[in-house]
Amino acid sequence: MTIMSILLGKIVILLSRLFNLGNGSTWPGQIALSLEKNFLKKITKKSKVKIILIAGTNGKTTTAKLLSTILLKNGKKVFQNTSGANLLNGIASSFIANSSVQGNVDFEYAIFEVDENTLPYVLQELTPFAVIILNLFRDQLDRYGEIDSIAKKWKDPLVKLPKESNVFLNADDSLVAFLGKGLQASVHYFGLDIKDKSENILKHGSDSIYCPICGKKLIFDAVFYSHLGIWECKNCGFKRPNVDIADFYIPLVGLYNKYNTLAAALISLKIGITKEQIGKALKSFQPAFGRQEKLSVAGKNIQIFLAKNPTGFNQNLQALKSLGAKNVLIVLNDRIPDGRDISWIWDIDFESYIDSFKSVIISGDRVYDMALRFQYASKIKNVKLKMKNENSNLKIFEALSGAVNFGLETPEQEVLYILPTYSAMLEVRKILTGKKIL
Amino acid sequence: MKYSLNIGWLYPDLMSIYGDRGNIISLTKRCQWRGIGVEVSPISLQSSEKDLSSCDILMMGGAQDSQQTIVAQDLSKKKKVLSEMVESGIPGIYVCGGFQFLGHYYKEADGTKIEQLGVLDVYTENPGRERLIGNIAIKVENSKFNFKDLVVGFENHGGRTILGSKVEPLGKVIFGYGSNDSAKEEGAVYKNSIGTYLHGPILPKNPEIADWLIEKALEKKYPSLSLGQINNILLPIDDSMSQKAKEAVLKMLGIVDN
Repeated sequence: MTIMSILLGKIVILLSRLFNLGNGSTWPGQIALSLEKNFLKKITKKSKVKIILIAGTNGKTTTAKLLSTILLKNGKKVFQNTSGANLLNGIASSFIANSSVQGNVDFEYAIFEVDENTLPYVLQELTPFAVIILNLFRDQLDRYGEIDSIAKKWKDPLVKLPKESNVFLNADDSLVAFLGKGLQASVHYFGLDIKDKSENILKHGSDSIYCPICGKKLIFDAVFYSHLGIWECKNCGFKRPNVDIADFYIPLVGLYNKYNTLAAALISLKIGITKEQIGKALKSFQPAFGRQEKLSVAGKNIQIFLAKNPTGFNQNLQALKSLGAKNVLIVLNDRIPDGRDISWIWDIDFESYIDSFKSVIISGDRVYDMALRFQYASKIKNVKLKMKNENSNLKIFEALSGAVNFGLETPEQEVLYILPTYSAMLEVRKILTGKKIL
Repeated sequence: MKYSLNIGWLYPDLMSIYGDRGNIISLTKRCQWRGIGVEVSPISLQSSEKDLSSCDILMMGGAQDSQQTIVAQDLSKKKKVLSEMVESGIPGIYVCGGFQFLGHYYKEADGTKIEQLGVLDVYTENPGRERLIGNIAIKVENSKFNFKDLVVGFENHGGRTILGSKVEPLGKVIFGYGSNDSAKEEGAVYKNSIGTYLHGPILPKNPEIADWLIEKALEKKYPSLSLGQINNILLPIDDSMSQKAKEAVLKMLGIVDN
């Protein structure tokens, strides 16, 4: 039966490529899973491939790309799921694409980024060599729910992992570090160094600032961003675990990419790749699409920073400020992959960044909600606030193509930075490159 | 400044995960743009009863369950003051978890009954069924308000809130769920306090409600002001962006034509 599923899946992949249908990363797996519910269990049992799962709110795709770059550059045979195809059907599709018709998987490592809600189901189907958990921030609450309930759903399957498995956790995130308690699997921690502390205050929108064990407020010796920092509960004694890695060469901007790189480097070290080899591989790193991806269109320099939740958005704005960004295009959609609720834009600290940009273009399905956010973030003091004219560095476009075209008028020596939500990122990329991704 | 208001933000570090900070931003800016002085006072675990009682408007947002437990313990200590403030007509908007807190009790899916403040005559039960999630539009039908527009927002709640006889609903549901599965009504109003499930956040996109709260706060704090004088203070603001943002939602929901 498995042969049948794989064969059918491979035909679907071929057809979708042939006709550019753009669904080849989920359909084949969907078909296989509907033919055989335990398809993943069967195909992984047969194979010796070591599976690495990457979960967390922000940084999954980048971490997967960092890790695959390190492993591939060091001669390992690796495959991974297509970014965004991070549900069971995406993982199954990835196996179908990378196995023989008989279901043999001739790879050493498989790297899968996994959706928050899907992780427990994946762990039911297969036993991973490693699980990396990056962070938990509020994100698409209408789809994922609150982060405490996500952590609760993860805890049991993690506890059940055998001692041969490895769990890599962000020590600076109290809720993620809490997941490392009581595991049989061996637990490894990554986190930043105290010298990385920035403004060192907990800002609005910090999530896990109360002890996950006893509920008392945590004390922070350092805050890196959001609720990530060096924390301790003075009541029950639970505190940030000691880390196995805190410093490494980082090929991308933004403090958040330091975490992604530390996670990828730590697991690579565990696999037996040396520090020098990892550093060398990272020098050749190319960002994943939409994640600080650089494009050149009509002679103009563009860089896309996917921004889909308050913490990610704030960190991207911080990164843009440090890059001296002048021209920014923000695209806010409210489709299913973005989350239907756009309330979260009021948790972004636009007030701290609005003055550093010369030109801000906004667009997307909910462009006027973003315009409203900017109206309220503006420092204009008088009552007769006229959005269109007085606030002239803000340009509002209902049609995304109009916004992109306006953005392309950015002077050649400057960069247009685009901050889109997920579906907006796919749309923007399609306009810029004429190609579909998913 | 001649007039000034102290906006009390209840538990900003614990009850604010759904963008409800936008309500504070809305109230603050709409005061500042009119030359009304504003102070925002975060009221949290370390705050005293006096910190709370010095507020002229109150806002409380939604939270995670575990954080609500922490808040519940603290609120029981501030219950008396909060209750007196609501009774005396201090205006406030209590969203989602904040709305539930003000009721008599919250019954969890497993039957556990958690006593709440009992400031509003409502109670909430979580039947353990699906959460009520999605865009919502309501028509405000309440003698206290004279709003011309529909109110839009986003609801996301597991609890179903039932209204008692001492409160009136905020409005009738045109699209969405509302306070519970059956009544097709949303929110509860008592004196100058509004309980609602609307995130969005509610005040920026529905500035009439923000202005009503500010008006009530001025009335209460400066009793010598006449209605005409208050109207003079509340200069009109260019709300074309909130209008357009609201229209976009109403079009998406098929309530107005494209």
